[in-house]
Amino acid sequence: MRIPKFMLMLAVVCMVFVATGCTGSSKSGDDTNANAQGKVKLVLWSHQEDQIVNAYKEIISKYEALHPETTIEYQTFPYDVYNQKLKASFSAATPPDVAEMFGTWVPNYSRNDLLVEIPDSETVKQAYYEAPLGGYLRDGKLYGLPLEYNIENGGMLIHPQMLKEQGYDQPPSTWTELVEYAKKLTVKNGNALQVKGFDFVSSDNITFTFLSLILQQNASFWGENEHVNFSTSEAEKAMSALVSLIADDQVADLTTFGGELDTSDYFFRGNSAMTYRGPWTIAAGLNNYKVNDFEYVPVPSFTDNPPSFAAESGWGLTVAKQSKQQEAALDFIRFFSEKENLESWNTETFTVPAKKEIAEDPEYLKNNPYMKTPLEVLSLGQWIGPVADRDYFFKQVNDHFQLMVTGRLSVKEGLAKIEQAINDNQDQHKR
Amino acid sequence: MSVAVPSNKTDKVKLAGKAAGLRAKRRFITISLVPILLLFGVFAFLPIIWSLGLSVYQYDPLGSKALFVGAENYLRMMNDAVFLKSLWVTFRFVAITVLVNIILTLFIASAIQRVRIPWLKNLFRTLFFLPTIAPLAGTAIVWSTMFNYNNGLFNIILTKLHMTPIQWLADPQYALYSVILMTLWADIGYNIVLFIAGLDSIPDMYYEAARLEGAGRWRIFFQITLPLLRRTLLFVSVTTVVSYFQAFPQFQIMTKGEPFNETRVLALHIYDQAFSSSNMGYASAMATVFLMIILLITVLQLRWGRTQWEH
Repeated sequence: MRIPKFMLMLAVVCMVFVATGCTGSSKSGDDTNANAQGKVKLVLWSHQEDQIVNAYKEIISKYEALHPETTIEYQTFPYDVYNQKLKASFSAATPPDVAEMFGTWVPNYSRNDLLVEIPDSETVKQAYYEAPLGGYLRDGKLYGLPLEYNIENGGMLIHPQMLKEQGYDQPPSTWTELVEYAKKLTVKNGNALQVKGFDFVSSDNITFTFLSLILQQNASFWGENEHVNFSTSEAEKAMSALVSLIADDQVADLTTFGGELDTSDYFFRGNSAMTYRGPWTIAAGLNNYKVNDFEYVPVPSFTDNPPSFAAESGWGLTVAKQSKQQEAALDFIRFFSEKENLESWNTETFTVPAKKEIAEDPEYLKNNPYMKTPLEVLSLGQWIGPVADRDYFFKQVNDHFQLMVTGRLSVKEGLAKIEQAINDNQDQHKR
Repeated sequence: MSVAVPSNKTDKVKLAGKAAGLRAKRRFITISLVPILLLFGVFAFLPIIWSLGLSVYQYDPLGSKALFVGAENYLRMMNDAVFLKSLWVTFRFVAITVLVNIILTLFIASAIQRVRIPWLKNLFRTLFFLPTIAPLAGTAIVWSTMFNYNNGLFNIILTKLHMTPIQWLADPQYALYSVILMTLWADIGYNIVLFIAGLDSIPDMYYEAARLEGAGRWRIFFQITLPLLRRTLLFVSVTTVVSYFQAFPQFQIMTKGEPFNETRVLALHIYDQAFSSSNMGYASAMATVFLMIILLITVLQLRWGRTQWEH
């Protein structure tokens, strides 16, 4: 009978194991309770990026020094898995107290009542630009504070020396000039492009450029009922111009799209003369590639109108409703958003300020001369709008763009398919 | 039918002892099986049943409620171009990889089996099995660096040979084949070991008889080895097909389904729908269809591969 008893014990152990695994684990809030000594522990999550992580650490240290009763456990995750990690933690009711979120993700959480409302929203939102705030707003209330103005349009990286070698002393000032420069700057090696004249083929920039070219024609890409409308002549003109840059002018190609490197990496390696990318990439050039032979200049408008652009709400901080330390967490993000702290964070991370007083501070521009171009166009940014699933939206544009470039779809067919796919998805998320 | 009636006290005691032994045996079997059945039920059957249930709902894990949508998720698949494409990519991947895997592993196993020096035979077996030990995710990362356009091993070789470098993972023409290459490298060792075991179990007398009859190598292979290896072949093909249908880490790490969804296998599409787009209901419906497809193919394989002989 010894063996059955042993097996019985094993069965009990397994059952306990199963039961433990199946019952809800302790919420993060339980760990963050104020302990007997009145100490408060907050858990903060963010995505991993060297500059950003270092900037967070500095502000956390500063906050802890000023608030000895609070300790902040800072945890970081690779960007590729961060969105999924956040969703899993919130759906399992074990979120961090303070979560860094991308603005476009926030509506999904605020709609499901998972985030704490920022007190005195009306006054607080006056301090920010409209575009970075859009994602954090729901029914006029704020559910987080943006740290940056996520800007992918308006400015581009250029190699002045490459331009000079082709006889250009100044960056292009009109769209026609831009295309002309790009053609001349492109260097081919057989069928392959050795240097791309104007590279905009990244998962962000195809979509952003397309949307901006529509806006610059004084048109809109939103229809009724949170549906996109790409059946306009302006959308067709915008998409045709982008397709033509690759299919006809051959100033860029699709070979590096979806690869492991960013378009800015190819730029800093000298594989493109002009690259349409946000100013956050400047940090990579200066710190990773140790180069400073580039400039960040305005991208000319597609029309005679000002160079308007669509922008998402970028990275910001939110407080989870499940947090047992909501007050302390709110206090931390208020502290983070104070001018001095946020300005140092923006400076160190090469992000464009979402707060007007920082963007307008001459000291900020003095410390960040590369930011001149983005700061000049901030007022032209429009919030991208109520995109239900950001990744899906961008993927539809990017996938169909490739099919149009390779001639497998006409521009009209491609736009119709993009519109249909995105609107179906928007409807799916409305229920 | 006659029943033995206990004739005396000793027989009664013997029978009672037998019954007690039988009861103890049953108890032992029950208790032994409970833990594993419990684990299997909770971590295998329950998720499948849960997923079947979810497939008729529209459910966002962040939301507090799920909306019953009936067969809508299943009907949506018919018009989902990405789903249909991923189904096609999955079948292409499985068909090519399984076929190449089985031909290659059978060939290598036959070659290793012919080696007569024991330590050399063991060395080959170990060498081919080594990649199987490494985690697939790690192998995928290493191969990604070898496929790198600028500094990858393969393009360095091509450049040395004065050939144009290739976008191994970004060109729709090559991406799927690049992942297939990596999968084969990482996975063939397992089937080689199985085939060697299968080949070792075929009695030498059949080969000797065939040689006496004057049969050539190919004839021996096709008329002796292959038929007698049918059971191993069936096991290998079923497990390989199921395993390749479920292939996920290499696609998630190396291509994320790009370019143009040319490497978007169904497992990856299900994952993306569930965890990136939060469409748990739709992802569950796709998983259910996927389960049925794998089940059907496995049943067909088992039926077609059935053998009745003994040796």
